[in-house]
Amino acid sequence: MKISYVRIDDRLIHGQVATVWVKTYSCNRIMCCSDEVAQDELRKQLVLQVAPPGLKAYIVPVQKAIEAFNNPKYDSFNTFFLFTNPTDVLRMVEAGIPFDTVNLGGMRYVEGKTQISQAVSVNDQDVESLKKLHEKGVKLELRQLVKDPKVDVMEKLQSMNLL
Amino acid sequence: MLAIIIGTHGYFAEELLKTAEMIFGPTSNVKTIHLIPGKGVEDLVKEYDAAIEELDTSNGVIFLNDLFGGSPYNAACRVAMRSDDYAITAGVNLPMLIEVLSMQSMEGAVPILEVMERALAAGQTGQSNFHRTLFEKMATEEL
Repeated sequence: MKISYVRIDDRLIHGQVATVWVKTYSCNRIMCCSDEVAQDELRKQLVLQVAPPGLKAYIVPVQKAIEAFNNPKYDSFNTFFLFTNPTDVLRMVEAGIPFDTVNLGGMRYVEGKTQISQAVSVNDQDVESLKKLHEKGVKLELRQLVKDPKVDVMEKLQSMNLL
Repeated sequence: MLAIIIGTHGYFAEELLKTAEMIFGPTSNVKTIHLIPGKGVEDLVKEYDAAIEELDTSNGVIFLNDLFGGSPYNAACRVAMRSDDYAITAGVNLPMLIEVLSMQSMEGAVPILEVMERALAAGQTGQSNFHRTLFEKMATEEL
């Protein structure tokens, strides 16, 4: 399986992703990796039905995504990976999946989180996982829209005294 | 560069462009033309001409109109009769505009006839129905 792009966006497939991101980083599959969403049949269906025409989308638990990545059966897949949080990305990286760059695109604000950009808010666990990803050499960029400038996540966290 | 002119009844064009920018980011080489009460087809032709003057039209001009047969469309037809490099797609919606913006930002020129066809296709495939009785029957593909 090839990696087209890796994005953290807790809305998973939505307008910006379906119309611009998956076209900019061309792919033939979309894989949403989330234990939580994979268990939620209604949400799963609602996310899958908005996959762009002609692109097959899957919602799988993280462990299943790791197995699929390593399965030669899916060698023809050029996959656009979507996650809802950096901890799930870290689980994949720790299992040896070679993500070199991860885009931090959308994590909505809930109480107890700190907003670091218009579209992204993080909690302590997110920061911890981002730090570990950085230590493993994964490049982390903060960018909501394709056309937005890429902001270095670690520099941003540093400047906000979150590290 | 491909020039994009959105011509609509009322301020739909301008608001549609602002909405597209929420998804696409900032845009350039796009003009909006509005038919407001009191204006006629002649006025719109002049406004289209003025817009074309200000745009980079080296890769052609695509007119996106809201209503087939409406005045913004009819005026665009008059302008588009003048050049093979001009084309019109009616029934503009958000998926259509995003597709056209994507083609504009691609490296290398997309032929204007292809721009026109892909705009129409995007507008059409961007439309769909939802009803829970039909939706529940939808099969999910498993890995």
